[in-house]
Amino acid sequence: MRSRALVLAGTVALALSACGGQDDTTTAEAPSPSAAATGGFEAVLAEAKGQTVNWYMYGGDDRLNAYVNGYVKTELAKAGVTLNQVKITDTAEAVNKVLGEKAAGKDADGSVDLIWINGENFATLKQADAVECGYLEDLPSTENVDLTKPGIATDFGLETEGCEVPWQQATSALVYDSTALDDADVASVESLFAWAKDNPGKLTYAAPPDFNGSMAVRTFFFDTAGGTDQFLGEFDQAKYDAAAPKLFERLNAVEPSLWRGGKTYPAAQTEVETLFANGEVDAYLTYGSSGIAALVDKGTLPKTTRSAVFQDGNIGNYSFTTIPSNAAHKAGAKVLANLLLSPAAALENAGPDGAGFTSAIDIAKLPADQRAQYEALGASPYQVPAAELAANTLPEVVSDYVTQLEKDWKANVLQQ
Amino acid sequence: MITTRAARRRGLPQGLATLLLLAPALGVVLVLFGGGVVMGVLASLGYQPFLPGRDLSLDAYRGLLDDVEVRRSLVLTFRIALLSTLVSAVLAVGAALLLRGTRRGRRAALLVFQLNLPVPHLVGAAAMLLLLGQSGLVSRLLFAVGLVDAPAAAPVLTNDAVGWAIMAEYVWKEVPFIGVVVLAALSGGVSDLEDAARSLGAGAWSRFRFVVLPHITPAVVSTSIIVFAFTFGSYEVPLLLGQPFPATLPVVAYQAYSDTDLTARPRAMAIAVLITFLVVLVVLAYSVLTERVLRPAERRRVTGT
Repeated sequence: MRSRALVLAGTVALALSACGGQDDTTTAEAPSPSAAATGGFEAVLAEAKGQTVNWYMYGGDDRLNAYVNGYVKTELAKAGVTLNQVKITDTAEAVNKVLGEKAAGKDADGSVDLIWINGENFATLKQADAVECGYLEDLPSTENVDLTKPGIATDFGLETEGCEVPWQQATSALVYDSTALDDADVASVESLFAWAKDNPGKLTYAAPPDFNGSMAVRTFFFDTAGGTDQFLGEFDQAKYDAAAPKLFERLNAVEPSLWRGGKTYPAAQTEVETLFANGEVDAYLTYGSSGIAALVDKGTLPKTTRSAVFQDGNIGNYSFTTIPSNAAHKAGAKVLANLLLSPAAALENAGPDGAGFTSAIDIAKLPADQRAQYEALGASPYQVPAAELAANTLPEVVSDYVTQLEKDWKANVLQQ
Repeated sequence: MITTRAARRRGLPQGLATLLLLAPALGVVLVLFGGGVVMGVLASLGYQPFLPGRDLSLDAYRGLLDDVEVRRSLVLTFRIALLSTLVSAVLAVGAALLLRGTRRGRRAALLVFQLNLPVPHLVGAAAMLLLLGQSGLVSRLLFAVGLVDAPAAAPVLTNDAVGWAIMAEYVWKEVPFIGVVVLAALSGGVSDLEDAARSLGAGAWSRFRFVVLPHITPAVVSTSIIVFAFTFGSYEVPLLLGQPFPATLPVVAYQAYSDTDLTARPRAMAIAVLITFLVVLVVLAYSVLTERVLRPAERRRVTGT
């Protein structure tokens, strides 16, 4: 049930080592070189003063919550805007709230000002015509973002059309215990499944529509079908029908070797993580390999924990913030969305005091001094270096494939 | 004639007064609960104002009973609710009878018995997970004393097909609830009746069967109905302690409700309406039962026939 369309955790190995000085520029009011954009944004800043922004976001990541209620809240206050983080367990809750209010005729003054979102949930809001659009280029922080990049111009295949503001990127990785698996076992889906057959009960994935579980099934799908390329672009039923049965056959074949003999699956990624921490499973796929080093340091995970990406690539995507069309504090929400995307906020987030997420910013576009600060952030032995994570990233496909896979997985694997 | 009118005159304002006094409570029930039910039924028929151009239909209901997910969920939900209720009721009656007999330390025993009443179900469910999970306390203890080879080899009690942990949580939480009401029923002069029965030569079983049981039956049945209705519609406990499939009806309903495809919404609401309908059926059955079966028994007892 958990957070299907939200990136639970980013990636990043930028996170660890404590170098890189803190940047204390007030980013909310960072001047933009573009005169037109500045003019537009100045009016927004003036209007935003005194507003309280209700930001609905997945609230299950302690480090991210600390970053949001610490750094982000303080920086936003400098622009005269108060941040009220509303923690939810599933982004669909915020979407439902907006739709419920719209259904009740509340087309303005809605209670949701900003949502951390991507994929299907964004598609739902857009389907119901409930998002604010057309302000993206007014936000000074978008200067540092490549807005034409496929993963940013489209969100799980759906054109974003300036209706959401990019925030972070997430790339998937396999987290495993190096006492149980070696480098050869984690090289590919094939070798992982072969390992599972020799070591029954030590591998599982969350049941889709869990966001991470859904990614795991897509990873197996692309591996079975021989890559993502044929699935880019519009949803193609024929291509899907040709590939899907082989996937389910393969998953049902490996099922008896999974946790609890595959008779059931954890309902949420948090359960998978608990199973790993307790030593009940030895490997799992996650978007959140960035949090691993911190968990090892805390002693939650063993020092033998490692991360890897399959040689055929790992799924990656961007997450966004979006403003519902009936939001009460649109100006404040824009200021917040802009702040989140600013280089200083991104550096803070990726650094040791942040949540360890990678910003959607294109580092190459940054001024030299900020770029140097990024590059000074070190790596950890427990995590895959950021460069390696991003080296062979597979794009996400249109959400029709995602929902179809989730539905058919349920019927063909879970209910079999 | 005049007296009747006078009585009516006196009676009418009194009825009105009663109605006025009840109005706040009735208003809350009618507006919040009734309104919710009406909106739910409308949504189950496909009423979604933010998706224009869709007609109302019964499609969501038509597919419901052919749906393997809903069918198996119905069986599971019913079984869990029924077993939890029965076990809770039996244990609660036993505990109440035991507690009634205590003299020394009665207050302390009562306190311990009622201790978990204010604990939220969510906390109870999390506790069950820590206690009964495969890496929980029980399995670690079994491992420590050498009964199982590894903690993970302990019996599967959480997120299992039977729903052991779900039922354990419900029983843990509902035994004191039923028990407290039964204890209250037992305090109302039943011991005098028992003494009378004893003096007439009734044994322990007869006293229980013919004096105590009829006395506490209304309390047991009414609280059991509440427990059944609650466990049938409860969401958070089976979500935490159950399986993704088959899941209980409220979990299936919420899964459908949080489906990102808006066209799945009517199905979610149809399941919710089905839950409401079944619970209302049970409550109706209860009121018929009390009217036909329990009341005569009560009358017999009171009049001594």
